[in-house]
Amino acid sequence: MIPKAVMDEWYPVAMASLIGAQGRQTQILGLPIRVFRQADGAIAVHGADGKALPVILRFGHVWVCPGTPAHDLFTVPEADQPGRRLVDCGVVRVKCSPLRAVENFLDIAHFPFVHTDILGAEPHTEVNRYEVQIREDSDEVWATKVHFYQPQAAKSAAGGIVTEYMYRVAAPTAAVLYKTCPARPGEWDVIGIFVQPLSEELCDVWPWMALYDDTTPMASLIQFQQMIFLQDRSILENQIPRLLPLDPGMEIPTQADLTSIAYRRWLKRKGLTYGAQMVAA
Amino acid sequence: MRLSHGFVRGESLNCIYHGWVYGANGGCSRIPAHPELVPPASIKAEVFSCAQANGVMFAGPAGATMDLPDLVGWRALRSMPFECSQQDLEQGLPGFAAVAPGRFEGKVTLGGTKAQLCLLVQELALGKRMVHALCGPQHDAVALSRWLEALRLRVEEEKAA
Amino acid sequence: MILYDYVLSASCYKIRLMAALLAVKLDLVAVDFHAGREHKTPAFRAMNPAGTLPVLVDGDLVMTESTAMLVYLARLHAPAWLGSDTPASAARIQHWLAFSGRLGASLGMARLHDMLQFDADIDAVRKAGLQCLRELEAHLFEARQGGRIWLEGDAPSIADIACFPNVALAPDGGVVLDDFPSVRLWSRAIRSLDRFVEMPGIHRLHELKPAPEGVA
Repeated sequence: MIPKAVMDEWYPVAMASLIGAQGRQTQILGLPIRVFRQADGAIAVHGADGKALPVILRFGHVWVCPGTPAHDLFTVPEADQPGRRLVDCGVVRVKCSPLRAVENFLDIAHFPFVHTDILGAEPHTEVNRYEVQIREDSDEVWATKVHFYQPQAAKSAAGGIVTEYMYRVAAPTAAVLYKTCPARPGEWDVIGIFVQPLSEELCDVWPWMALYDDTTPMASLIQFQQMIFLQDRSILENQIPRLLPLDPGMEIPTQADLTSIAYRRWLKRKGLTYGAQMVAA
Repeated sequence: MRLSHGFVRGESLNCIYHGWVYGANGGCSRIPAHPELVPPASIKAEVFSCAQANGVMFAGPAGATMDLPDLVGWRALRSMPFECSQQDLEQGLPGFAAVAPGRFEGKVTLGGTKAQLCLLVQELALGKRMVHALCGPQHDAVALSRWLEALRLRVEEEKAA
Repeated sequence: MILYDYVLSASCYKIRLMAALLAVKLDLVAVDFHAGREHKTPAFRAMNPAGTLPVLVDGDLVMTESTAMLVYLARLHAPAWLGSDTPASAARIQHWLAFSGRLGASLGMARLHDMLQFDADIDAVRKAGLQCLRELEAHLFEARQGGRIWLEGDAPSIADIACFPNVALAPDGGVVLDDFPSVRLWSRAIRSLDRFVEMPGIHRLHELKPAPEGVA
């Protein structure tokens, strides 16, 4: 039985630009759905019983709610700023819990070891103290004042810089990060990870970006982000236990893990246990 | 994250994910995200006893005294996976003797000469075992390897039949 | 020299890796393979009717087969990478270049299926991939008995570069390399070469660098 709290959330299921009349057969939380474009041009999503599900088009992607929407889908005001390049990076399937995919996105301690010489490098491995809070008004997890030395922070970066980050969990399986924009100091580059839970141990990941970069060709921007995400994929597929533990147990968190600790607490509090286990690891 | 994906530096095994450093006793000695932190003793990887004999690695529960098989005269040749049951394998071994549980020895004719093989069989699953083959020091490793390949082909095809 | 490239393509990586090992500079042009399918557009097919990546262009010469590109780079810059100059060695190099096609069609296809949802009979391609790995394991085992680690001869060659990517990326397609110790030793030897470059799915060998200063 899938908890009602899980059913009443929004999940990404397609890239809007790629949906035609024939559409895409896929699934959400183990339930088959069909995403297609109707005669009037609007995109619809139908469940196995032919029932139309609530749909929102946002950030270039199709979002669906398998139950009754508890609230609107989150917004990212930066996406509407003039001059922004909006990049749909393309879906990648990963044999892992959708919650693990999000948690990895929130982690920076792995940068020197997994994204070596790009997002991090030895000996610059120290994760300095940062701030985490669960914002009650928006009911989102935020990490701010995160700093990390990066040899190549973005495609637009000319050399190594100390990057500042903010992380935001905006939905159970969607997170957004804000990072120092090399091309426009003072602005943030925005990178999102939108995770479609196919089952508790399989997900489709839809990365998305809103950047300031006037020079890099679109294909290069896409491939830079795909490169970063694909470096994480073999890690994600080998994490044990497969389901994200929401109870403290054998895993021992450190200061660097504050964001993921908050994320797990937030999931547990809201009953968002799809892809999670409650038994101590 | 599986430590088998990690990397070894000096006498430590490091996790590939965050670079946590584990010593031979399984304790974590360093967390790169917090270089000044002395990792709590509770951060510990599971350890096993292990020993080597004649090029073969043996592992057992931590603290156990290892009763290693006598492998005098044998040298490690090759480890090969067999997709078959224990019964399929034993039925496919011509004239081999079961010297001990999971240990089979026999003579093999290669061209004009005879060679001896010792097979230590490690069950990985009901339908899969890893065969660790040992031979005598003077034996033709390539010829014996090819003999084993032919054995595996026979055993796996007979199983399918 | 221009390489039309996709960062996640095993075949494009063969060329990027070869160029890096030979210290040859390539101009990379990113082609939006996924999800843009740019390689199937009329504009791209005007250059390569097959609609595939990689494409390597050197002046008037347009190459569309990765094995041809490897031969070209080696002939131009480092002929030792073509094997020794004997008929037998040349034949063995060709064998592995052809074998690399089987690796792409099996392990490579399993990876594209699992990662990017390409259409494939996943059980069949994984089974074919395991067969390839067994053949590779047998060959590399025998090579090591003679004190050799590379696929052909005593030095790395284009045979190794052609075969390495799809083997190293096999886990992306659900095929693990745990059962193939000789293959893993060969893979480590390649990843330890001077000027080796990674691609997503093939991690850096951090053990090749000592721990940072002041660290145990």
